[in-house]
Amino acid sequence: MPDSIEGLPPLEELDRDGAIRETADRAGVSRSRLLRRGALAAGGLAIGALPVAMSIAQGGGLPKSDVDILNYALTLEYLEAAFYAEAVSKGALKGDAAQFAQVVAQHEAAHVQALQKTLGDKAVKKPSFDFKGTTSDQDKFITTAITLEDTGVAAYEGQVTRIKTPAVLMAAGSILPVEARHAAWIRDIQGAGESPTPAPEAFDPAKSMSEVLDAVKATGFITS
Amino acid sequence: MNQHDLRPTLDQLDSDGAIREAASRVNGHTRAAFLRRTGAFVGGSLFAAGVVPNLALAASTGDVAILNYALTLEYLEAAFYKEAVAKAALSGETKRFAQVVADHEAAHVDALKQTLGSKAVKKPAFDFKGTTGDQATFEKTAMVLEDTGVKAYLGQAGNIKAEAVLKAAASILPVEARHAAWIANIMRGQPAPAAFEPAATMDEVLQAVKDTGFLSGAASASPGSPVGAQPRMTG
Repeated sequence: MPDSIEGLPPLEELDRDGAIRETADRAGVSRSRLLRRGALAAGGLAIGALPVAMSIAQGGGLPKSDVDILNYALTLEYLEAAFYAEAVSKGALKGDAAQFAQVVAQHEAAHVQALQKTLGDKAVKKPSFDFKGTTSDQDKFITTAITLEDTGVAAYEGQVTRIKTPAVLMAAGSILPVEARHAAWIRDIQGAGESPTPAPEAFDPAKSMSEVLDAVKATGFITS
Repeated sequence: MNQHDLRPTLDQLDSDGAIREAASRVNGHTRAAFLRRTGAFVGGSLFAAGVVPNLALAASTGDVAILNYALTLEYLEAAFYKEAVAKAALSGETKRFAQVVADHEAAHVDALKQTLGSKAVKKPAFDFKGTTGDQATFEKTAMVLEDTGVKAYLGQAGNIKAEAVLKAAASILPVEARHAAWIANIMRGQPAPAAFEPAATMDEVLQAVKDTGFLSGAASASPGSPVGAQPRMTG
């Protein structure tokens, strides 16, 4: 059910050289059932969470598994940010899709910046991308954007219970619904509420790191 | 345009603090400086898959209070959309939105009730004050409710102790966000107004809910609940 979205390429068609698989292997460690969180959990700290996470990271205090998860997120955000930046610069989109690309390009760039700052010198480098013409064709752009945003939601959701540092959890938590908003928005642009529906299920499916990385790999978008 | 212009009702919601009790019970926990999570649940099991975590074994008081807080918000949303669908005053994509979202919110209620078992709070009585019978008012109200839902779940992410509960909440959070973006797009507003979603504390959310005036009384506490236009609004 989760993946059967009418008219969309299956996730399994995305990345092909496993550029970021290394990150996954390294993070495989943190499957532990017993999580212990040192929390600074003041209730609505989401907006402040990134700076907090940054100060923790800069103090070298992030556990390695959190660093790996953040680098995984950063890689996905690099991909999204580059995709939208290229779409905006090519100027081939029209109407709502053009506006969507502009807004989302800014959001993804902000996510990249925040994650880079949080990771400091532990941040992975930006890969090289080849979007294969999907940024300059309206229909392909929309279809690809839906796949990327749905994947982003599933990816963040899949890591939520594996994050150990509360500030990192709140930071990821503040990005997750934004990816979901993007996904619903572009789906609505495509289908006007019908097909694909902006909110296909009552519970959003999560994906593991390996599932997401396989999907990214299958796109062939990451060239190095 | 500014989406906030479309949110007059956020500060106009609830009147008797029916669910404040849940808040006061959880506050001691939410402020805790050190949280420890026991993940005594099956990894990878998701609410959605019909594997609802059973809290009977491991629920902490804090998680129960958070789940009841979520359940109360979901009761409100589910009742709102159900009434809107029943009144059938909506048209076009808005009608479709109400139908789809009504199903989702009902599923959230079911899942939370199953999770809580005998600890689930009763459904309050609601009075939606005509917002379900008018297209424009419905849209505005739906956006407020969905945005509030997103902020509410996000605000509890750091407070939940049990891994299975966190997973469940994490699977609902993006759905609320999808609803929020969908209705905003229908209204030609801003489906994704910021790069980082703001959270709200339980106090903030409950105040906002209270200010709507939609909560007309707790079913469990008011045997002689309001009469009138609420079909089956009690437990």
